[in-house]
Amino acid sequence: MSDWKQDLHKTRYVMDVLLLISFMLVSAPQATGLTGHEWLSVLFIVPFAVHLLLHWDWIKQSAKRFIQHISAKERFSLVWNYLLYVMMLLATVSGFLVSVALLPTLNIELHIQDFWSKIHHDSATLIMPIIGVHLALHWRWIVNLTKRMRMKGAKV
Amino acid sequence: MKYLQYHWKSRTCAVLLISVVISVLLISLELTDWAAQINQQGYSHGGEGGEGNKVPSFLRYILPFVKELVLIGVPMLLTLLFLKISRMLKRSPNR
Ligand code: HEM
Ligand code: HEM
Repeated sequence: MSDWKQDLHKTRYVMDVLLLISFMLVSAPQATGLTGHEWLSVLFIVPFAVHLLLHWDWIKQSAKRFIQHISAKERFSLVWNYLLYVMMLLATVSGFLVSVALLPTLNIELHIQDFWSKIHHDSATLIMPIIGVHLALHWRWIVNLTKRMRMKGAKV
Repeated sequence: MKYLQYHWKSRTCAVLLISVVISVLLISLELTDWAAQINQQGYSHGGEGGEGNKVPSFLRYILPFVKELVLIGVPMLLTLLFLKISRMLKRSPNR
């Protein structure tokens, strides 16, 4: 179990599992309570940023690849990733703009607009199917890595 | 961790900076007619107060996750099905 840090794919796997778990916690404010939801959401920025850092090369090449000849699936995945990114930002930003616990605690006055409540609800709900498709597009990788992670003591 | 630590300071700064810039752009949505219209119509959804609904309290900790599993899982399975079918079509000789 100690060797995952030495392998890029295994590192990604561990971080992706954490990302998914933390996403699911963040998306359940009824279960965590609103205060918990807001603090968890701020913490969630960490696994989110880590996910992007671990795909730095992909991001750097993505603009160039868009104009190159790639398969329809890859092109779709590329656009989808950017859609997911913007939705995630939208949910986070609108979350801050409807904050009832975190910003008031920090003494930041806020007039909550219905617009942002609706955007927060809608974007947060939309992200779930978007992530479902995102995961399906990487299904083979997920299956392969799950097998590799379960081979105890196997050399990386 | 070595992959995470590689250039992580400059890269984290870059990611955060770009995200903040886009976020500020997104906030400017509030100046659109669309936003004004929604603000005028008002928006509310269930849950406020919550006295009325008679679901057992333990469900509060389960139902949100069931909802997530469905909203993530169903699109995921549909996409997998679609990918499988399109791969089968590509392979079939008489087309
Ligand atoms: C809960 C949220 C998410 C989960 C569980 C998740 C999971 C995954 C998995 C399993 C992979 C493939 C394995 C890998 O290379 O790490 C992946 C790849 C990727 N994800 Fe995510 N992801 C999430 C959110 C996001 C978000 C918000 C973005 C925003 C841009 C994103 C961008 C990417 C990129 C760029 C790749 C590599 C794409 C490729 O190689 O084609 N992911 N993700
Ligand atoms: C990726 C980030 C986030 C996701 C996925 C997310 C998800 C959600 C979801 C699913 C709800 C329930 C919405 C509903 O049923 O109407 C919600 C409500 C809420 N969230 Fe977030 N959230 C995120 C970030 C934030 C942040 C950063 C804050 C504040 C600092 C925040 C504050 C709130 C508040 C105050 C509510 C209750 C408002 C209402 O019910 O209209 N959220 N969020």
